Formats: sequence, structure tokens, C-alpha cells
Amino acid sequence: MTKSGAAGNAARDRYEAVIGLEVHAQLKTKTKIFCACSTSFGASANTQVCPLCLGLPGVLPVLNGRAVEFAVMTGLAVGATIHPRSVFARKNYFYPDLPKGYQISQYDRPLCEGGGVAIRTAEGPKVIGLVRIHLEEDAGKSLHPEGREGVSTTRVDLNRAGVPLIEIVSEPELRTGEEAYQYLTKLKQILIYLDVCDGNMEEGSLRCDANVSVRPRGQAEFGTKTEIKNLNSFRYVEKAIAYEIDRQIALLESGGRVVQETLLWDSARGVAETMRSKEEAHDYRYFPEPDLLPLDLDAAWIERLRASLPELPDALRARLVRAHGIPDYDAEVLTETRALAAYYEETAARSGHPKLASNWIMTEVNAVRNKIGGSIETFPIRADRLGDLVGMVAAGRVSGKIGKQLFEKMLTDPEGPEALVQKHGLLPIDDDAALRALAREVLAANPGPTAEFRAGKEKTFAYLVGQAMKQSRGRAHPEKLQAALRAVLAEESS
Amino acid sequence: MPIDVTVVHKIASLARLKIEPKDEERYARELDAILGYVAQLQELDVTNIEPTSQVTEGAPPPLRTDEVCAFGEREEALGQAPDRDGDYFTVPQVV
Amino acid sequence: MSADGILASAEAIAADVASGKRSAVEVVTSFLAQADRTADTLRTYLHRMPEAALETAAAIDRRRAAKESLGPLAGVPIAIKDNICVRGVPTTCGSRILERYCPPYDAHVIERLRAADAVIVGKTNCDEFAMGSSTENSAYAVTRNPWDPERVPGGSSGGSAATVAACEAPLSLGSDTGGSVRQPAAFCGVYGLKPTYGAVSRYGLVAFASSLDQIGPFARTARDTALVQSAICGRDARDMTSRAEATPIDLNDLERPVAGLTIGVPRAILDEAGDALAPSIRAALTSAASAFERAGATLIDVALPHARYAIATYYLIAPAEASSNLARYDGVRYGVRRGDGDLRAMYEATRGAGFGREVTRRILLGTYALSAGYYDAFYLRAQKVRTLIRQDFLEALGRCDAILMPVTPTPAFPIGEKADDPLAMYLSDIFSIPASLAGVPGLSFPATFDATGLPIGLQLVGRPFDERTILRVARAYEREHDAASRVPPLAAAGGGAP
Repeated sequence: MTKSGAAGNAARDRYEAVIGLEVHAQLKTKTKIFCACSTSFGASANTQVCPLCLGLPGVLPVLNGRAVEFAVMTGLAVGATIHPRSVFARKNYFYPDLPKGYQISQYDRPLCEGGGVAIRTAEGPKVIGLVRIHLEEDAGKSLHPEGREGVSTTRVDLNRAGVPLIEIVSEPELRTGEEAYQYLTKLKQILIYLDVCDGNMEEGSLRCDANVSVRPRGQAEFGTKTEIKNLNSFRYVEKAIAYEIDRQIALLESGGRVVQETLLWDSARGVAETMRSKEEAHDYRYFPEPDLLPLDLDAAWIERLRASLPELPDALRARLVRAHGIPDYDAEVLTETRALAAYYEETAARSGHPKLASNWIMTEVNAVRNKIGGSIETFPIRADRLGDLVGMVAAGRVSGKIGKQLFEKMLTDPEGPEALVQKHGLLPIDDDAALRALAREVLAANPGPTAEFRAGKEKTFAYLVGQAMKQSRGRAHPEKLQAALRAVLAEESS
Repeated sequence: MPIDVTVVHKIASLARLKIEPKDEERYARELDAILGYVAQLQELDVTNIEPTSQVTEGAPPPLRTDEVCAFGEREEALGQAPDRDGDYFTVPQVV
Repeated sequence: MSADGILASAEAIAADVASGKRSAVEVVTSFLAQADRTADTLRTYLHRMPEAALETAAAIDRRRAAKESLGPLAGVPIAIKDNICVRGVPTTCGSRILERYCPPYDAHVIERLRAADAVIVGKTNCDEFAMGSSTENSAYAVTRNPWDPERVPGGSSGGSAATVAACEAPLSLGSDTGGSVRQPAAFCGVYGLKPTYGAVSRYGLVAFASSLDQIGPFARTARDTALVQSAICGRDARDMTSRAEATPIDLNDLERPVAGLTIGVPRAILDEAGDALAPSIRAALTSAASAFERAGATLIDVALPHARYAIATYYLIAPAEASSNLARYDGVRYGVRRGDGDLRAMYEATRGAGFGREVTRRILLGTYALSAGYYDAFYLRAQKVRTLIRQDFLEALGRCDAILMPVTPTPAFPIGEKADDPLAMYLSDIFSIPASLAGVPGLSFPATFDATGLPIGLQLVGRPFDERTILRVARAYEREHDAASRVPPLAAAGGGAP
């Protein structure tokens, strides 16, 4: 097996990679796609099952309307064509976690076709086209005995069997692992904005397979592709694709040929390895599912759904730039989720200082979130309170430094910044008499530097200001403090 | 294409059916006769004819509302399994 | 007809139980006694439920005593084909692979029958997974025809037809995919209705070919047939292909004369059948047509030009769907597991040993028809021909109210005669399969007997959801002929005195 990075830079430049992604997103419905069992994650084995999802004889699938709605919303959000009629089909294969011996999916007549996802690349913006989005049911979970001493059976849990999925298939228009990463990030963002998928890769709510091939630059035909599975995070997708592109280039450069195969990504070792070969070629024997009727959608219903779509990330970003005059970069960070953007908008409005509000969220708020984890919804400081704080700093009511102290206190104390200022005695010292008293105190405590200043060493003044500020625990009004110091120095030398 | 033992073997494998070698020949003969009979469909001109996979007449039903209704007889259902490990179904190791 | 014995109609029994003239326990006891006499000889049942039946009957009697209102089938025994799920009761579909399987839920039709206060007396024998025309394909027993125990009762619902013919129960349910209710009804001299596709929920019916399967009743009178159909029809939220258009039938409608109705006869099909169509059946058809004409109906000739392709079409579509529907029998979650070694060996041994020859043959055929490279030539083409066959029927039924045609080319054939020739067996479905493919209702009604005393049934095919008209036509014939009032000697032997 070729090691990652085996292809030299020069060789890399001679090739172009062609990448398509197949993403499976679990829809956030309460119940499974064809029965009324719960979809909640983490229940103990085989507790969320019924005759239908156990594949007992005699039961029939009944389509969950909410799953259809979510799939259509996704299609609308990416500008896909929503087909007024789509058809469910059976994909036949045997596996212990596939209770009926077939998966109900969509085949030659999917729900959505076309559309695209806009991403930003090193070369500028780019739209990655979509082939299709279709509805299907998930399989259960097989727990293989690997690592279990003396055990030779596979255990099967069917809680997940029948959970609704959409499969989103991209055109082979991605060129690098980084682009794939951007595409996935954007796709996930859209799904979360629509509130149709929780985007949790650890729980398997979002899964991705990558098809990768390379071709000499300028060649129109695609090279032979491989499929990489077991990509459990966006970073693994990026790494695995980079790895596979390199492997294929090195292979071709050394006179070899790429073999069409399925690879499994081993994240621990950072390599993609051939999956144990299947005993026979797949022959899924697709045919229209006779237990379900063709899915006919009313055009007016689709239009109502279109009208009710939430504002999507790109539109929201543009609006934030327009409405608040913040830089595009800020808007991108702030539109990570709908909730964060809403948090920002409230903070900005309350403070009256949109750019300062943005700075606070991008630095202070996000630093804390990175440390403690969690979404903005569970962030301990309310947006109106943060807005008050930003407003106080902007108005000079407190210094930036005190502002940060207040922010720290607000993380654990539910009171507003004004109350906290009172409670902790953090009011600024701007009274001239008080500042002069402070100046006298500091000069008395620092006879050496005071003498130096008097001897004409102007630089020492900054040191004395620093000492006074420290003495006031940052509360002294900076300009007034300087004025008071100079006044006292002048007094005493006369 | 005539159905021979090789074809029977291949489709039996696809359908996960163990067929004794002595029976393969017989199935091949029977399937060949049946497929020979159904070949008469080839005489028909079906250009522009839509396929029928459903004959359901009348108004389609509304789709299901997304409300959880847990199945009450879970143990009665799981208890049908020929082999279990606690709440899990078990199968021989997937090779 | 005596209202007191096992020859009573379901309608009369329910009326007696409701009025207190007879108790449900008495009724059930008398039918259980008849079954005790004949069921072992006829092998009509795979599982009998005398205790449960008597308990249900006693509960009905208690409710009557408490002045509660009773359902339209109060105290009427009914037998259920073994491919319909009854909670906690073995449901094997006549297959080894489901030996000991007990569903944890009731089929929709079972819920409806319980609500109507019918009394379930047992699970009847059938061809394995409803695949067959003789009930010889059951893994457990060969059911015999009550009119001649050396002959088959038909299939696949042979047990359900025979049990009603032998007066072991006044009613039963079967399922019809390509004729599995109508053909055994004809062979056993009882009524058998295949409702419009979608008229009865398939929830709880073990699937054979999903786009064709329908549950339907057997009975010994047209009115009883309508009574059961009314109890089980209609929309069920658990079957997306079931329809609200299927509504209960007013029994008074059945008494309306046929004068003014138009009845189509597909002459070309009868001509084409030639010698394959038994003269006795041809004669019965001609005679019935004349009877309808005498009663004031108008006879017209209807063309069903694509019906001759029905068998070829059916034997691609039904096995294809079956190959997929039967994939779930894998020895993982229920059923009998076999084989040592790895997963694949377990699958192959379980399925190889669990399915009988006919089921195996159809799975192979269906797998082949769906597999890559053959789909367009076989399955897709068959679906297109199905369109043509359906159009034929809808067109013909636009010109007439019902089509009169044979159910079978011959009366009941001897056991073993076609067991080794699957194609010959398939060809005998020529008259029942077309209506199945079209999804329209078909009723097999007892018309007469041949010279050897075997019953002859004829078929009436109706418009979608218009079961009432074909039942009305059959009822008109029944008023004049009443072929079903004859009882097989075997059933009557001890009928009076033991």
C-alpha cells in the first residue's frame, strides 16, 4: 500500500481529482419512516421495535408525512426540482440488520433532482451540483464479535431499522478534500437551519461515502473510481480523500492501474484499505414497492412549504452585512447557526453597536463556547445582558478591561452587568478628587520613579499611570487619571 | 437463453437457497419450460404502454402523522427468535 | 333449510343468537362436533381452537344475557386460512419455515370479525405461502375435497373452501392472489369472493404477491358472502392500498332482480379454450347465461383480447414480488433456523430446508425475472401487459354490469394428477388470473353439478368496488337453483343421527 504523500508535488500538479459524495442524513422525525416507533437515539437494544420494523409477516409500511415534508424542504433549500410523483422501490439484499430482506428506497424516480450547494474555495465561490435527493429507510445495527473473547456471533439491534434517511448525491464536481470538507460543512449547516437533521456524526445522523478518481489535467473522461466508506467525521472525509487522491496518482505514475473497489477508512492509522471482497457482484433487483403507492405531491402544498422555509445561511449572511454593516467575515462566523445569528442580532440591537457586538461574540463568547462546548442556546449569558455590557463598554461607562471582568462574572451570575458593577464595586473612578488622592498615594509609594520623572525622564510617566491603574483595579478613568497625575506632580514640585 | 444448472445455481445463491445438486437439474428443466411459456409476451407490442405496478383505485389515504405509538407486545414479538443474547438477536458471525 | 343445525346460514345463526333462540355455545358446539367427525379425514385444519371458540361463544352469550347489543355475525363460527395472522395462534402459512410461529398481533380482518362477534374456530390448511391450486403444496397435510376425497379441494385456500363445503363452519376466510379463493370455491361447491384490490385491508395477511393479494370470504349463500364482506371491507390506516370506497353491502340490494342488468360473456376466450374447457362447465355457463336472459338481463359479447397473456404475465409478476416478500424468512427474528457455520450457510440451510418445492421454484423464477439484465424483458414487460389486461376489463365493464365466465377449465382433479407438472398446474388458472391482474372483483358461485356429482362453479367479474352487483346476480341465480343446498355425502352422513 502506498503511503500518504507518496505522489510528488510535480505529479500532483499533472492530475485533477474528481470527487462525488453520497451523504445520508437522518431526518429529525419523532417516528420511523414506515411505522410509529420512536427514533430517539441511545435506547437499549430492540426496545423501539414493532412488527413492521422487525419484518414480521403480514405488516405493511405506512409513510410518515413529516419525513416527506423534511425531504421536500431540503430539496427546496438547495434549489432542486421536486417531482410531483416519485416512486418507492425495493432494494433486495440479505443482511441480518435488514429485517425484510429488502430496503425501501427510491430508485429510478427519486423525490428531488438537481439543485446545488454553494461553497467557498481557495479559487473563490463555487456551486457543487446535486444529482438527487431521495427518501429511504435506515437499516438496524450489527454488532460484530471482534474483540469479544470466545464469541462467534454477531448481535443485531433493530432500533435504528426504519429510521428515515435522505440520501443526498452530489455531482462529481468536487476537486479536493478541502472542497469536500466545505461542501459537507455547508450541507450540514443547511440541514440544521431547516431543522430537519441534527447533524450529529457521532450518533450517525450524518454519514458520508466518497467516490474518488483522478485524471490527467485536461482529460475529459473520468478515471476509474474507488468508493471510501466509514468516514465518521468531516475531517476524516477530507483526509481520506487527500490520501486516496495521492494513492491513485502515485499508482498511475508508477505505471499501475486503479481498481474499482470499496475502501474502508482506518482513522487510527490514517489509511484506506480494501474492504473484504464480496462473494458476488451486487444484484439488488430493484422493483417498485407494491405496498406503497407512488408518492404524489400537491403543487400548492410544495409552494406553501417553499414559502415557509426559514432564512438560509447565505441569505442570512448577506442580510447581516447589509443591516448591521459588519464585514462579511463576521457575518459568516455569526451565521454558523440560526440561533447564533439571532443571538448576535439581539446583542447588536440592544447594545446599539453592531460591530462591537460582533467582536464580543466572535472572541469572548466563542472562546468560552470552545472551552465548555455546547451551542449558543445553552450559553450562560443572555443576549440582552451581553448587549447591555457591550453598550456600557461602548459608552465608556466601563473600560474594556472591566467589561471583560464583568463578562467573566456574568458566566456564573445571572444578574445583569449594571447590577454586577454595583455588587462588586466596579464603578469607574472618574471623580477628580478621588483620582488625585489615588495619584498622591501612588507617587508616595513610588519615590524612585517619581524622582526620575521630575528629573525629566518623561517615559516614567507611563509607568506611574500603570501603577495607578493597577491600584484602582482598572476602574480609574484613563484620561482623567492621567490628568490627575500630572496635576498632582505639578502641585508637589511647586 | 436456456436455463441450465449454472443459472439455477447462480439465482439460488442470490436468493440464499440451498438446493441439492440432484434437484438443480429438475429446477432448471421446470424453469426453462415456464420461461419458454412466458416468452409469448414477446409477441406483444408494448410500445408506449405504461407499466402497471399498482391497481389501487380511489382516493389515496393521507400520510401518517408523526406521533409515536409504541408497540405493546414487544416480548411476544422478540420471543419468536430462534436465538437471542439478552435483548439482541444473534446470528452466526458474518464472514 | 333448518335453522337449527349445521346447515343453517350465518345470517340465520346470528339472528337466532341475537334473539336468544339458540345460544352461541350451542351453535359452536354443533359445528365443532361436525368438524370432529370430518376434519381429520379432510385435513381441513392445521390448527383447531375448540377451547378458545367455546370461550368466545360463552362470552357472547353472557353479553346477550346482559342485554348488550351483538354484532352482525354473533356466534357464527368462522375458519381462517393459515396465512392470516391471529394473535398468539400458530400461523404457519403451510410452511415448515414458520413452524411454531405465533404472531403477536391480529390481522385487520380478525379485528373486524371479533368486533362483529364471529367465533374463530381454527386455521385452515393451504398451499405453502398460498402458492398452488390444489393445497397439495402444504408442508403439513393434503386437504381432500368433501365431494370426493380422492380429489383436491383446489387451492391455495383449499382448507377454507372444504371446511365450509363440509359444514364444519358456515363461513371462512381465504386469500386470493390468482384465484386462490374462487378456484377452491368452485371445486368445493361454495361461494368464494375475491374483492376488488384494496377493498379489504391486507394488514395481517402474510404477503405472497402484494399487488395481487386480497382476502376474501367463503360461504354457502350469496347473502352470507355479502355479510362477511361487509364486516371486513373498508379503509384501514395500516394498509396504504386499502380504500374507503369499499363500503358494506345492503342485503336488500341482493334481492333486486337482474332485469335491466347487462351481462357480458367473453365468447372468444371460451372458443379459444377449445377442448381444455370441460363440456360440463361450458354447458353450465350456457345454461346460466340463458337463465339470466330469461330473468330479464341483457347478454352481450365482450372481448378480453389480452386475457390469453394473463398466465404468462402473472407467473412473472407474482413470483417476482414473492421472491422479495419471502426474503424475510431468514431464521433471524422468528421461524425455524437451520445450519451450522457462517451466516451465509445459515441463510441457505434455513431457507433451503424451510421452503417446499413450489415456493422454491417461484422464488427462483422471481429472482431471475428481477435480476439485472432480465428486468426489462420479463418483469417490466409483464407490467405493461398487465396494463393491457386491465384496460380490457375496464373497457368491457364499461359496457356491461358483470362478466360471466368460468372459474376453472375443469371440475376438481384427482390428487397427484398435476403435482409433478407445474406448468400444467399454472395453466389451470387461466380463467381466474385475468381478474386478479385487473384488480377487479370476482365471485365464484355454485352453479350445478356434473354427471359424476362434482360441483361446478361459475365466475362473475364486476366493476371496481361493485361487489354488490355480482353478488346480486349470483343471488338471483341462487333463488332459482340453490346448488349450495346440496351437502357432500361425507358431511351429511352423520348429519342427522350419529
